[in-house]
Amino acid sequence: MADGIVDLSTTGSSGPLGPPASGGAAAHSIDLVKTYGKGAAEVAALAGVTVSFEAARFTAVMGPSGSGKSTLMHCMAGLDAPNSGRTYVGEQDLAKLDDRGLTQLRRDRIGFVFQAFNLVPTLTAAENITLPMDLARRRVDRDWFEYLVGELGIADWLSQRPSELSGGQQQRTACARALLSRPGLVFADEPTGNLDSNASAETLAFLRLSVSELGQTVVMVTHDSLAATFADRVVFMADGRLVAELASPTAGSVLAQMRELRH
Amino acid sequence: MWRVTVKGLLARKLRLALTAVSIVLGVTFITGTLVITDTLNSTLSSLFGSVYQRVDFQVQAPGVLKIPESVLGRVRAVPGVAYAAGGVSGYARFVAHDGNPISTGIEPAEGLAWVPAPALSAHQLVAGGAPTNPHDVVMDQATAKRYHFAVGDPVRVLLPGGEETFRISGIAGFVGAGDVPGATFASFSLPTAQKLFGAVGQLYTIDVLTRPGVNKQLVRQDIARLLPTGIQVVSGRTVAEQQASSAAQSVAPLTTVLLVFGLIALVVGAFTIFNTFSIIVGQRTRELALLRVVGAGRGQLLGSVLLEALLVATVASLVGLGLGVLAALGLEALLNALGVPLPSGPLVFEPATAAAGLGVGVIATLVAAVGPAWRAVRIPAVAALSAQTEEPESGSKRRILPGGVLAVLGLGTLGLGLGHASLATVGVGALGISVGGAMLAPGVARPFSSAIGTPLSRLLGISGHLGQVNAMRSPRRTAHSASALFVGLALVSAVSVIGASLAQAATSSVDNAIRADLIVSSSSGTLGPGVAREVSALPHVSSSCLAYGADFEVRGSTVALKGICTSDLAANVILRIVAGAAVPALSRGELLVDATTARTQHLRVGSLVSVSFPEAEHATIRVGGIFQPNALIGGYLVGDRFFQTHFPGQLPGAVLVSADRGYAGIVDEEVNRAVASNPNLTVQTRGQFEAAQTAAVDQALGLVYVLLALAVIIAFIGVANTLLLSVFERVRELGLLRAVGMQRRQVRVMVRAEAVIVALFGAIAGVVVGTGLGAAFTVALSRQQAATAVVVPYESLVVFLVIAILLGLAAASWPARRAARLDVLGAIGVE
Ligand SMILES: Nc1ncnc2c1ncn2[C@@H]1O[C@H](COP(=O)(O)OP(=O)(O)O)[C@@H](O)[C@H]1O
Ligand SMILES: [Mg+2]
Repeated sequence: MADGIVDLSTTGSSGPLGPPASGGAAAHSIDLVKTYGKGAAEVAALAGVTVSFEAARFTAVMGPSGSGKSTLMHCMAGLDAPNSGRTYVGEQDLAKLDDRGLTQLRRDRIGFVFQAFNLVPTLTAAENITLPMDLARRRVDRDWFEYLVGELGIADWLSQRPSELSGGQQQRTACARALLSRPGLVFADEPTGNLDSNASAETLAFLRLSVSELGQTVVMVTHDSLAATFADRVVFMADGRLVAELASPTAGSVLAQMRELRH
Repeated sequence: MWRVTVKGLLARKLRLALTAVSIVLGVTFITGTLVITDTLNSTLSSLFGSVYQRVDFQVQAPGVLKIPESVLGRVRAVPGVAYAAGGVSGYARFVAHDGNPISTGIEPAEGLAWVPAPALSAHQLVAGGAPTNPHDVVMDQATAKRYHFAVGDPVRVLLPGGEETFRISGIAGFVGAGDVPGATFASFSLPTAQKLFGAVGQLYTIDVLTRPGVNKQLVRQDIARLLPTGIQVVSGRTVAEQQASSAAQSVAPLTTVLLVFGLIALVVGAFTIFNTFSIIVGQRTRELALLRVVGAGRGQLLGSVLLEALLVATVASLVGLGLGVLAALGLEALLNALGVPLPSGPLVFEPATAAAGLGVGVIATLVAAVGPAWRAVRIPAVAALSAQTEEPESGSKRRILPGGVLAVLGLGTLGLGLGHASLATVGVGALGISVGGAMLAPGVARPFSSAIGTPLSRLLGISGHLGQVNAMRSPRRTAHSASALFVGLALVSAVSVIGASLAQAATSSVDNAIRADLIVSSSSGTLGPGVAREVSALPHVSSSCLAYGADFEVRGSTVALKGICTSDLAANVILRIVAGAAVPALSRGELLVDATTARTQHLRVGSLVSVSFPEAEHATIRVGGIFQPNALIGGYLVGDRFFQTHFPGQLPGAVLVSADRGYAGIVDEEVNRAVASNPNLTVQTRGQFEAAQTAAVDQALGLVYVLLALAVIIAFIGVANTLLLSVFERVRELGLLRAVGMQRRQVRVMVRAEAVIVALFGAIAGVVVGTGLGAAFTVALSRQQAATAVVVPYESLVVFLVIAILLGLAAASWPARRAARLDVLGAIGVE
């Protein structure tokens, strides 16, 4: 198990795919603008967002529904292209990559946990976990795999299909997939949005652990102020803009900030 | 409900188009076939209608009988008869200026006697005059125009007795019809025609025109009274119908084949339609359930889905009708290219064709849509609330038992059919096996896909594995996609087994037909009198043998009879006698029959057969021997002496030539030089003769393959259709795969792998079942007719599988590209 931790820290910081040293940012954006629709129906999902997510830190993104949280995540993960502004993963300018390059970047350097529909229904849990590695035709590090499934408590479910798993088990399987390739950066979009409080707590505890003990960088979009307290830092969005920021959040400080945003 | 249906349809334009494609193709095929058939029939009947419209009666000699010329004078003397003209016809073919014989669609090329009475003649001079002396000929207008002949020109004509040069005395067209492409005629004076066609002192027909105002029935009775027994008189309309129907019959096998393929195409298309509607209903589960929640009744839902089917079917069938007319043009060209020339005329589009095309397209679609519609109706209202989007799989298990029972019953029936040598029973059994097999397919689709997919995932990695599990996820859908292929390939395989078996049977009757080095034959059917003598006198010819051919009647039906030399028979012809004797029996004037004829006619050595010859003589003849089928001879054989006594003056049809050992090449050259001046004659070596005989079988098979290929292509459009619908159904999943790092190329590989698995599933099942059925049919056929050993053409079957894989890949190309281009955010969009 100690091997796994050592492995991550070495490849994570100095490997070719690891997070960059400069400024300690695993990803950052400059003046991002993204609009949907045309003319009168035009909506600015992002109205100029400049943000940086430091390496080996757990950042939460909060804000009211429709404030642009998901759009920000999509643009920064190379899933969507902004109308203007720049996005970087490490040193890499995403605008310089074509579809092939973006796909490779997502496969090798970014892990994803979504709110729902995280797993391919025809594949078993184990196959879902190794999917990005299999797509890259890379060898799976068995020790690391065993460590992750052990830590997440899903070792008994590996040969089941997603439809046979509970919501919490599905999210933990998604977490294992996100971390298996040691991506350096994990994006989680409301990972606990569909879970009961027990399952939420387990998932959040694991994300916390992956940052504190494994040196992972996690960016998590959430609605839930309790979830935000697991983070090192919370950024608040409203109407497509970054409006506030909290370091070392507590339930009280997050709630207070949210209440303020609503006014 | 109407508004909901129409709006729903418009919202799903692409799916609509995809469903429509299969209907369009099936209807196109059927319409094209009907248009071709009607066009042919109308061309033929207008031709013969115009020819016989002016004739009141015709005196005819049925079968092989001929009319003594003296009857003509007596008919002319009957009160009320205005004109009567004797007719004689036979092979006659013009030679163009370039030396090539002029070949037309209708065979045999028609030579006839000029009718001097314009009131009675079907032909009308447009230039020059009637043939008056033995060197005159009247040429038809179409040929004269096309090949640039004018009155007074000399023209070479190929005739049963060889080639002769005539002077064009006149050019004529059809009365009322002018020139009819494809209908050539060469018209001679009656005595000339009688001499050329071996009917001196005889007539084949007498056309009669009555005086205006007489009672035609009385005239007819008077004529009938003076005719010798066996000769009859019929009305002009009857003659036209007889002629048109016999011409139509000569193309009937072709049109039947086309129609059968039209139906096959539609059945294959119906599988696709069924599949498409199943998927659409599956995808609309939530929408339909929601309609139930807000109060739509079951009847309304059923109506809505069926109405959708009806609308799609109507529009698609109309498009199919239009395309069918175009296809008819294409098919005509295709058949011509394949060496099946057809007389051409303006395309005929009957209202019945429109009704058939529309009716069949709409009914097939509705039948195919009933199952899915019924499933839609049974959707519980709570389904609106569940996330389930894929179709339920409950039905597949319920069909295994009846499917198995049906397949077993089919097998039993097939066995019964084989036991009783009944092709029809075998056919019913084959149908049972096919339908039962199709019903069983969902039950085996999963293990089958798993088995085929495993090497693929080994080869292609995770993309191949995903293709494999996608093919396995909905066994019913996989089975339905594959069903169309299954039917198509089963047919192709069955036909190729039957074809290979027949071809081999033909080859064996050809390979063991002649021993001679050369065979000289004539396109007119008979050699000139000098040819045989000239050829056999050439140096280094060791022996020669004359073969004759003519029609006679056996037990009331007209069949072909061959006469063969008895002196040098063994040196030139291979007669594999299975019972009785060869030369001694032939010399005694006995009849030899081949084994097939012996079986179907229940003849054995010593059987007595009643036969009749052209001079109206009846005779009883003893069967003296039975031989293995021989391509040169056919079913019935007599000795040359016997033949000549019954067909006096008949010229030989072919001469077989054997060379001294080592001189075959030299004799070949000499014979060719000797007959070079006569374009009617062909000289074939033994090898060429054998090749020419099997080429006929190959050509027929080629046509069948082209048509079946169309059915298989329709099946593949079905696969493409299903794949595309599956791709749309899996948008979220594809988005997820792309998000976590699947390259576009890998998406394409995944879709293609699925297509290949589906294609192989259908193809392997089809080839296996088709081969079995083909073998069964061959066995049944061989019990009923010719002894035929089952030949399995393994190379062809492997080629079919490879083609199936390639077509599977082709079918996947569009869906794969669509899938690769889908929006990544599709999976993770807010909903
Ligand atoms: N594909 C899209 N088309 C049109 N509008 C969109 C699309 N995606 C998001 N939006 C709009 O952009 C804004 C931000 O959306 P989103 O980033 O999903 O917000 P959040 O995740 O904070 O709830 C919202 O107003 C939403 O309606
Ligand atoms: Mg969101």
